[in-house]
Amino acid sequence: MRRVAITGIGVISPLGNNLSQFHRSLAEARSGIRALPAELAQGSGVKVAGLVDWSPAPMFKDAEAANLDRVSQFALAAAAEALAASALDLAAADRNRIGVYWGTGMGGGHALEGAYKQVYGAGEWRLRPLTVVMAMSNAAGSNVAVRYGLRGPFANFSTACSSSALALGEAMRAIAAGRADAIVAGGAEALLTPGTLAAWQALRTLAPGDADNPAASCKPFDRRRAGLVLGEGAAAFVLEEESQARARGARIHGLLTGYGNSCDAVHMSRPDRGGQMRAMQQALADAGLAPEDIGYINAHGTATAVGDVVEGEAINAVFGDAEPRVSSTKSLHGHLLGGAGALELAAALLALQEGLLAPTAFLEQPDPAIRLRHVALRAERIAPPRAVMSNSFGFGGSNAVLIAERAAAPAAR
Amino acid sequence: MDTLGRIKELAAKEFSIDAHGLDPAAPLDTLGIDSLSFIEFMFKVEEEFGVSVSDEDLKAIKTLADLERHVAAALSAAGKA
Repeated sequence: MRRVAITGIGVISPLGNNLSQFHRSLAEARSGIRALPAELAQGSGVKVAGLVDWSPAPMFKDAEAANLDRVSQFALAAAAEALAASALDLAAADRNRIGVYWGTGMGGGHALEGAYKQVYGAGEWRLRPLTVVMAMSNAAGSNVAVRYGLRGPFANFSTACSSSALALGEAMRAIAAGRADAIVAGGAEALLTPGTLAAWQALRTLAPGDADNPAASCKPFDRRRAGLVLGEGAAAFVLEEESQARARGARIHGLLTGYGNSCDAVHMSRPDRGGQMRAMQQALADAGLAPEDIGYINAHGTATAVGDVVEGEAINAVFGDAEPRVSSTKSLHGHLLGGAGALELAAALLALQEGLLAPTAFLEQPDPAIRLRHVALRAERIAPPRAVMSNSFGFGGSNAVLIAERAAAPAAR
Repeated sequence: MDTLGRIKELAAKEFSIDAHGLDPAAPLDTLGIDSLSFIEFMFKVEEEFGVSVSDEDLKAIKTLADLERHVAAALSAAGKA
């Protein structure tokens, strides 16, 4: 059986623009959520977001940056870190056997909104020729493939907030099935534009923002939770067939062994316990693990009134007495939407590798209706668990759940 | 700066290449300028000179020197040069 090793990770996030900064911020429970600058918020009424502190230089020259939507810049930067960390020798590798599986909810939101603003706002119909290839949903993943000449299987997944978890799970399956030997997989989102913010605001699901302490605006599982906080960023992983990774002496961060995918099929935005349970149960079965093997769950935990309760019930129903530790790191980095599953797998791997559980920050008053073993306020250190889970549940009822296991786990089953 | 000089400056900026080393007679693809990049570049050339190059004329442009001739003709027709 072909198993899948994680050999490189790259992160662009509100908590820092590389993996070590991201992990340090999680360990210190340092929030990356802040007040939205007026030029982004404009008339949307949105007050806070998890913003990436980003300058395209020095990675991109001026003209190059101008031809890449922000979401593609994030994707390329995260992929560059992941590939460099993997030490995979692309020049020597058969790149027909290396693919890209990417996830994004929206695609090039900045390019699209800029074009609409010009056409409808200014009546200027002469648009940049690159508008289409900058805005299309698969642009971020395709830019990664083009940059590195990765000619193997390519797919772009767009299932709202589960997009990048789906990309990672499907990439794992493609490698296991022998369709590729390695895949750069992950996701990115960059849709903090005035028009998109206004659309989210209209949905009445965003936290109003903590005026006194914007960093503490997202409070998953807390009685005072008031909605989600949007974020932006990217996370990329180099996934490799395990024996190949071991043969070249690669550092293995963990094995991706479980993937569940289901649709609630009941409502476009209201989450469903049954759909979430099916995805978690599938992931456990896929990995051949029992509930008690999972030591930590990085919850979807968006801090909406209904969502957190439903996820708590679903976890209780699947895990029973096993009671794994649970946190939502969205309290620190906000909701990366299509990029969330990938970024949160990177957070879960901190627990897997070091036993360091990133907390649900600001969880001072746990909602008694949600009965979970929270990691609250501050990070905790435990003996590294055998396996960790990351939940991603998207609008449209699209659920994706990933399980990663310690690299030291025996290869034979 | 003359028309060709301005075009070379624009190309140097767009494609991050050295303007001085640009051979106006070299086929565009040997300069690393592919068809999509060229269409985006033409958009900026049209903006810079305030002219419009037709799709038909665009197909005939294989070098920066060709481009310079079309831009000069368009400027002349518009009474701008």
